[in-house]
Amino acid sequence: MKIAVVIRQVPDLIEPLEVDSTGKALDLSSAAFVLNESDDHALEQALLLKEKHGGSVTVLGIDFGDVDSSLYAAAAKGADQIIKLLWGDPNRTPPPQQAAPMYAEVLRPLGPDLVLVGVQAHDELDGVLPAELAVCLGWPYVGVVRGVQAANGKSLLVCKEFPGAVMAQFEVRLPAVLGILGAEQPPRYVPVSRIRAAMKTASIAEQQVAVPPEAVRVEVARLYPPAPTERAEMLTGSPEEVASRIAALLEEKGLLR
Amino acid sequence: MTFTRPLMWNVPATAELIFYLLIPVVLVVIIWGIVWRIRKWTIGQPEPGVGSLASYVGRLLRSGRLAEWIRTALFQGRLRPDPFALTMHLAIFWGMVVLFLGTAVATIDQDIAHLLFHWQILRGKLYQGFELVLDLFGVVLLVGVGFAGYRRLVQRPARLAAPTRPVSFWDSFPFLRLLALIAITGFLVEGLRLAQGFHLEAQVRQTQTGQQTPSGSLTPTQSPAVPGHQAPANLGSPSPEQPISKPIWQTQWLALAGEHWDQQHQQAELERIQQGGPVFPAASWAPVGWLLGKLFQNASFPTLQTWHQLLWWIHALLAFLFMIAIPWTKAFHLISSPLNLLLRANRPVGQLPVAAPSGVAKLRDFTWQQLMQIDSCTWCGRCQDVCPGYQCGFPLSPKEFVQAVDGLLLRSPVRLAKAAVPQAPSPGLSGSGPKGDSTGGSASPASKASSLPDLHGQTVSADKLWACCTCRACEDICPVGIEQPRAIIDMRRHLVDQGQVDENLQEALMNLQRYGNSFGQSPRKRTEGLQKAGLPVKDARKHPVEFLWFLGDYAAYDPRVLEATQAMARLFSMAGVSVGFLMDKEQNAGNDVRRVGEEGLFEMLRDKNLQALAAAQCQAIVTTDPHSYNTLKNEYLPSPNGSPGENIADAAALSADGGSCVSTDAALQTKPTSTDDQYPLAGKSIFHAVELLDRWIADGRLPIRRRLEHLTVTYHDPCYLGRYNGIYDPPRRVLAWLGVRLLEMPRNRENSFCCGAGGGRIWMKDMPGIHVRPAEKRIHEALQLPGVQVLVVACPKDLVMFQDAVKTVGVEDRLKVLDISQLVLQAVNPE
Repeated sequence: MKIAVVIRQVPDLIEPLEVDSTGKALDLSSAAFVLNESDDHALEQALLLKEKHGGSVTVLGIDFGDVDSSLYAAAAKGADQIIKLLWGDPNRTPPPQQAAPMYAEVLRPLGPDLVLVGVQAHDELDGVLPAELAVCLGWPYVGVVRGVQAANGKSLLVCKEFPGAVMAQFEVRLPAVLGILGAEQPPRYVPVSRIRAAMKTASIAEQQVAVPPEAVRVEVARLYPPAPTERAEMLTGSPEEVASRIAALLEEKGLLR
Repeated sequence: MTFTRPLMWNVPATAELIFYLLIPVVLVVIIWGIVWRIRKWTIGQPEPGVGSLASYVGRLLRSGRLAEWIRTALFQGRLRPDPFALTMHLAIFWGMVVLFLGTAVATIDQDIAHLLFHWQILRGKLYQGFELVLDLFGVVLLVGVGFAGYRRLVQRPARLAAPTRPVSFWDSFPFLRLLALIAITGFLVEGLRLAQGFHLEAQVRQTQTGQQTPSGSLTPTQSPAVPGHQAPANLGSPSPEQPISKPIWQTQWLALAGEHWDQQHQQAELERIQQGGPVFPAASWAPVGWLLGKLFQNASFPTLQTWHQLLWWIHALLAFLFMIAIPWTKAFHLISSPLNLLLRANRPVGQLPVAAPSGVAKLRDFTWQQLMQIDSCTWCGRCQDVCPGYQCGFPLSPKEFVQAVDGLLLRSPVRLAKAAVPQAPSPGLSGSGPKGDSTGGSASPASKASSLPDLHGQTVSADKLWACCTCRACEDICPVGIEQPRAIIDMRRHLVDQGQVDENLQEALMNLQRYGNSFGQSPRKRTEGLQKAGLPVKDARKHPVEFLWFLGDYAAYDPRVLEATQAMARLFSMAGVSVGFLMDKEQNAGNDVRRVGEEGLFEMLRDKNLQALAAAQCQAIVTTDPHSYNTLKNEYLPSPNGSPGENIADAAALSADGGSCVSTDAALQTKPTSTDDQYPLAGKSIFHAVELLDRWIADGRLPIRRRLEHLTVTYHDPCYLGRYNGIYDPPRRVLAWLGVRLLEMPRNRENSFCCGAGGGRIWMKDMPGIHVRPAEKRIHEALQLPGVQVLVVACPKDLVMFQDAVKTVGVEDRLKVLDISQLVLQAVNPE
């Protein structure tokens, strides 16, 4: 099975996010970037499928943030091909509607049987990208996927999670796009020495992509940190004081007996 | 002509011939066995830093190794903490050595020196002394074996239980029983021989008192001749001048001993005996044999002869059996252990050698020295007794670990074990291989190698490897110098290479990769705890300072340690020294990252730290964290093994198969900073904070304003401060100055008991199946001290581990856990 995985760079929430001077966007210069978590799961799921059924894994990422490290790490984990998409502006990521055609442009000639994408990202919780990508490619799409099994050469059995602990199994004809929420097992650890080795042996294929026009339908009016509402009570004091206050609150709400 | 030692008394010529023919056979078997066993070690890789063996041995000897070796190998000095075992082992070892050498000397003296060159040293007084010494050492041997028997049959310590995985077919070989039998049969043979002498002497006395009766017709009770044993001396050289009827005792003497002497000598001996001299001139110098002889002398002469011959054979065959068994049993430690002690590396114990950066996957990935170490195990089990993991129900016993690996080693044929990991079967390639291996045929060593049990999994399961706290208690106590933690870490490295880490550890390692700390916190927050307390935080890269304070992760990020870190910061400013930090550029020092087996990550962290340190202006480096202290002091080396960047290249080269295009990335590819002069740590001392407190209290920089005489405390020696770096006294002096009453726990100083955090265990989940955590066990130990109020520690991880443990044990109100800096602050700044 020929599998392609799309990975994205998202701001690392370990550092406080700052809004830039326009008040409409994040100040990306002070942010650090990490691999989007559900994309990491998409990669793991792809590697698991490859290990089980054979085939190859190709990983694509748009040139932004620390994407080189993520691509090398993917190679160290077992990806066969790593591709970086150059779209002319390495200082920001395109919105999903714009990104999907770019990925599709690279994917079409590769002719994968399956494309795995994290179902959502920090900066895109509504999960537009995988669906947009499926539309661009004209392939079936299932999102919020938690497990993938090959049924036969032509289709997959896919588990989708619904609220209220309900799982649905779909049979999906290939080729298809899946939005992965979690792989069947947590993403594997790849030691630094293997990443270093991958840096020497693997090479990132850089591919220029056409930038589709940005169809701006909605615009950010203002970006701001949420103000504490009156219902929120900020607990202050020493850890002991905070802890006893939490215990008291839990008891008050009847959560402690 | 002085008297000498009658050899081969009562031993028929044929028996003697068989005996001497057996010697070369035995020697060949032993040498073959020793070669067989030592060749096993050649399965391993070269040991780093050894170079040519001859020059290595030369270097060791020049560094005073010989004296140490005499102490540790010949006199088993590493057993000193256990006087019972030391006495036992010295007695057995020296008993056997002296008896063996004595037998060898006597044989050479008689059968080479005397027979071929008519020259002998075991004569007269020297011979008598010789007999005395041998007799005494026979007793010494028996006493040693008796001690051992007492230990094994009466005391029965668990550590001496038979291995669960047999090392070899000969495992059940009753080693000590054999030694005891050799000594006992030796004495019996001597006693029976001397008893025969007493008989003859009695006859001489009888002959002399009944001088009138013709000497030929003696008492009819005496047996006429030795059954089945003609006296060749008598028959071969019938002296014409002698009367036909010579005294029977003479005939007997000539038959039993005469053939080893020329006529002149025979005559002299007979005359000496005739004049009332003892048949065995050293009989009274061999007290045990003499006593036994007296005991046996009432038996009839033929009975004595029969038993003597029988036991002589048993004794000889047992001795041969013992010698032959050496290469195939744990008796081989006679050879491997002294060799191992002689060749022990001279590096500091805190410096982990890394021969296989991507880990030990197979036996052949160990170094030859590691295999030698493992093969020198004597199964004494002391390691198991002191292992915190074993004591708490972790799946690891260092003894079982070593034996399992040794068992695999001994079962693995050298050629197969050396062979490469079997590739994907490629029958088409046979014959076209560039190596031109002589194997040919269908079964190449590589394919056969797969039939051997795996080192990982089958021989040593992963949970055993992860159970190690790397506290080095096992290594420290091992009488023969095995480095168990090193082998365990080498094997862990393979697990990490394969991505087999538990999820908590994985999270810690990913945090360390990304943020340089295991907490997954922002690097910018490393000094936040100090800043929030209003303490000055200088950037050592911008301002020159006396001390660069390397914080470490727990002192910086764990809220439970913050108070101690702040106390230390206050003490620094009270002592009037300037302190600076690497700020957000400080990374975890990597001590435990390395010991978890993530060598690549260790190198990355080390190189980043060295880069940051290169920019700092300081005179010395200080840390409160023993783990950081150890690796900064012992492992941030400019050369040769630890040269930053060098190992990275090696590691990459090893895991890369055939380099294609190379693209580098600045984030991971840090440039080597070294060459000795530019090396950022060159000329800088590295201190643990407690060393500075000790110094500053002594020189009055930190005057004690209030002595804490009301406090009864005990002190826990952190593994990486104590056993790894020998810092035992500074914290105790500090406590003495504070005026507290210090009670020592039963396990203190080098016997300290690990809190269970080391070697990355603090990042991992609790071991399944444990009945108590090491830290809890330690708390129980502290609580046994009467009136103890405070457990004093000098390690941020200890603070965390023991604070948790007092809570889980439920003794928070009885025992406080404090860092030594907190106590010092109370005394220096009483408020």
